[in-house]
Amino acid sequence: MSDDHGLVEMQPTPGQKLAAIFKQREVRVATAWGVLVTFIFFIIGGWIYPSWMPIAMSTDMKSIERLIVIFTWISAPICGIVLGFSIYTFLHRHKGDTPPVDGPGIRTNGLVVGLWVIVSSALCLVAIVYGLIEMNSASAATAEHKKNALVVEVTGSQWAWSFNYPEQGVVSHELNLPINRPVEFRIISVDVNHSFWPVQLGVKVDANRLQTTVVDTTPNKLGTLDVKCAELCGLYHAYMETSGEVMSAADFNAWVTSHQGGHTA
Amino acid sequence: MTTLDHHTSVRPVPNPSKSLITKLNMGTGLVVGIFFAVATYYGLGGDSAGVFENYNRTLLATMFMWSIGFMVGIGAFIGPFRWLIGKDLTDEEQLYLAGDGQGIKRYFKYCTDHKVVGIQYMVGVMVLLGVGGTMAMMIRTNLIQPGSKFVGPSIYNSLVGLHGITMIIAMIIVVTGPFGNYIMPIMIGAADMAFPRLNALSWWVLFTAIPVLCSAWFLGGIPTGWTAYAPLSVQAGPGMNAFIATIIIFAVSTAVAGANITATVVAMRAKGMKWNRVPIFVVGATMSVALAIPAFPTFMVSMIMTGLDRSYATTFFDANLGGSGWLYAHLFWIMGHPEVYVILIPGVAVLMEIAPVFVRKPLFSYNAAIAGFAGITGLSVLVWAHHMYMSGWMPMLNGPFMVTTEMISVPTGLIFLVILGTLWRGRPWLKLPMLGVYAFLWNFLIGGITGLYLSDVPADNYLHGSMYVTAHFHYTLMGAALTGALAGLAYWFPKMTGRMLHERAGYISFWLVQIGFQFLFLGMFIAGAEGQPRRVADYSINFATSDLISSVGAYMIGVGMIVLLWAVIHSWRHGKIAPMNPWGSKTLEWTVPYPVPLVNFDTPPVVTSDPYGYGKASN
Repeated sequence: MSDDHGLVEMQPTPGQKLAAIFKQREVRVATAWGVLVTFIFFIIGGWIYPSWMPIAMSTDMKSIERLIVIFTWISAPICGIVLGFSIYTFLHRHKGDTPPVDGPGIRTNGLVVGLWVIVSSALCLVAIVYGLIEMNSASAATAEHKKNALVVEVTGSQWAWSFNYPEQGVVSHELNLPINRPVEFRIISVDVNHSFWPVQLGVKVDANRLQTTVVDTTPNKLGTLDVKCAELCGLYHAYMETSGEVMSAADFNAWVTSHQGGHTA
Repeated sequence: MTTLDHHTSVRPVPNPSKSLITKLNMGTGLVVGIFFAVATYYGLGGDSAGVFENYNRTLLATMFMWSIGFMVGIGAFIGPFRWLIGKDLTDEEQLYLAGDGQGIKRYFKYCTDHKVVGIQYMVGVMVLLGVGGTMAMMIRTNLIQPGSKFVGPSIYNSLVGLHGITMIIAMIIVVTGPFGNYIMPIMIGAADMAFPRLNALSWWVLFTAIPVLCSAWFLGGIPTGWTAYAPLSVQAGPGMNAFIATIIIFAVSTAVAGANITATVVAMRAKGMKWNRVPIFVVGATMSVALAIPAFPTFMVSMIMTGLDRSYATTFFDANLGGSGWLYAHLFWIMGHPEVYVILIPGVAVLMEIAPVFVRKPLFSYNAAIAGFAGITGLSVLVWAHHMYMSGWMPMLNGPFMVTTEMISVPTGLIFLVILGTLWRGRPWLKLPMLGVYAFLWNFLIGGITGLYLSDVPADNYLHGSMYVTAHFHYTLMGAALTGALAGLAYWFPKMTGRMLHERAGYISFWLVQIGFQFLFLGMFIAGAEGQPRRVADYSINFATSDLISSVGAYMIGVGMIVLLWAVIHSWRHGKIAPMNPWGSKTLEWTVPYPVPLVNFDTPPVVTSDPYGYGKASN
């Protein structure tokens, strides 16, 4: 890479080449910009972006928040490299109405290309492995939940959600759930595709016509739930939303008792 | 200017006076097209039948007959008809079709000159972007505050869908249409495209799709978004037929154009232009259209099936009778994901072509650029079901699709490496095209990284179907691909119009668009984090701030685009006369004068190196 040593006969090792690259002033300044950018993305990803997300009311939602943070942290150095070097060259731009003189005729640099491929593959691998581990623990949790799950049959129709609790004999348009008990949603649509999205629980699955889809989670925090439709389903898609509550077991039982047999909201 | 000596119009206009060809133009196309359409509509009984299937059948037939009628009327079938009776067009007729010396009229004819087709595409793209952009402004106006009644949910849903499909069509052709047709043949030293008549066919077929798409407005709009998921699309009103017909007509156009561009690059390169000397823009554009050739037919097939379900009561997508909505989703996304790279790659390739010229350095690692494009192209056909993680179809396959999807980040990384390596240790000349390179680096970085979250199954549980997705793909398709296309416009404007693009207006437009873009879609990322679903006509109060930020950004883009439109129109008519090679570029298109002669080169060029020989050689 460095033209200064073009006449030296001895072939430097890749390590020496790399060290020589980092001795150049322009590389150091660009790297400094990169470190600053990395730091900014680190802060945004770790604290600012999650603060916009709703309160996590299940372990699934908690792990999504964590995953988003960690992915931003993995990406922050990439942003640092790309933007650091971009900023450096932008600040050293050529001014004037005529083209600048030719720069160095660098065609390629095997070391840099190789390093780039290795590092980006490694980061990609980390993301893949981390995602697979999270998926695996989610499905392990699903197997665990099967035993004592509260079953809720969710029906999407244009443009409302309804929830049937078969064991309790309750039908409702509000999604009320007891805290700390696994819940298994069985979702179906009577017309077009909808997508069942209890926002704070961090799960989502489409409601398909005549095809039951299943998703489970365990609410672990008391509070209000927003239930939305995440698949365009026609005229009043935007209004196909309802609310619900994660409540204590006693409150849930009381709610069940007061609604049994009736088709009240 | 000495170049005026080459002006083609000083030669005698070929006049095959008895030939029908001289009588036909866009006007006769419109007349015959409308006649075919009206005859079909009333021949099939109009809407008097009143039955859903009958009416859909009538409308679809009317739209296809309009398209066929227009092509008949403009003379597209004269050549094939001659073949049928064992003849061909005479040389004089061929020359007439090339439009030589016919001035402005040739833009309204079935003209085979690739430069005319390029300009036709450019104007067509600008119209489509204008229409799609106006719809975007209406969408953002409706979302400026919760409870807004600007258009209401029915029109809003139609706006979302028509904005989507208009922009997708515009973005698919935005680079390969104008620059792929006008510039690319000159860039490889060819006299014209491999199949000039197919070239004219691809443009005019596409042209017939535009009124069909617009007719959706008058048929009650489309409620489905551009994804047109079944069963919603099967139950939708008559406007859906316009969508179906548009896609089928458009698929014909892209297949013809894709085959033509690929054949041209394979067969028509100048002497000495080996594969490792082909300009990177040509490589990118070719890979893009070659990817479109297998991808688009599935969209066409899905639309044929939707059309059959609607007009012949078949049940491809009706779960009640053994069909499946997932079948549609698969067919759609098998096209849909390669399609985003069909859009992206040419835009990136334009910027890779621009960067070496303005930094005065060789393209860094040509091979890495090829590997990046090839890797993306190859992987892009293996990732479609990441759009279906949350559909309930085969959750056990989510893992494999996650792996293939995230693997795309490696070839994508090579694209960044190539551009950064080209910039590095150079002193970039920040003319308008070069600014696009920097805007791309930021926008595509954000677009690419946010794609990583969406590719991850657990995170997608939250982000799927939210505003986050909308923000992500606008960063890639608009922030990266459209930025590349606009940089290409600024770069090649002098060659295509003979005049320089108004610089100050260009800068104003650039900054307005790019800054507005950040407001619009960073705001939308926040809305996505807060849990706002996409494609909603209304929303609750807790999303009000982020949506307001987005709408303000949208208006900035709108103003910036109007400034750009003014700059283009003004410069085209009154701009400074451009020198032959204003940027000091080494590619072949800058060696020909304006107006470019009919066969581009007086003597066929011979290529002895790649076009990136800047600086003193090293490595």
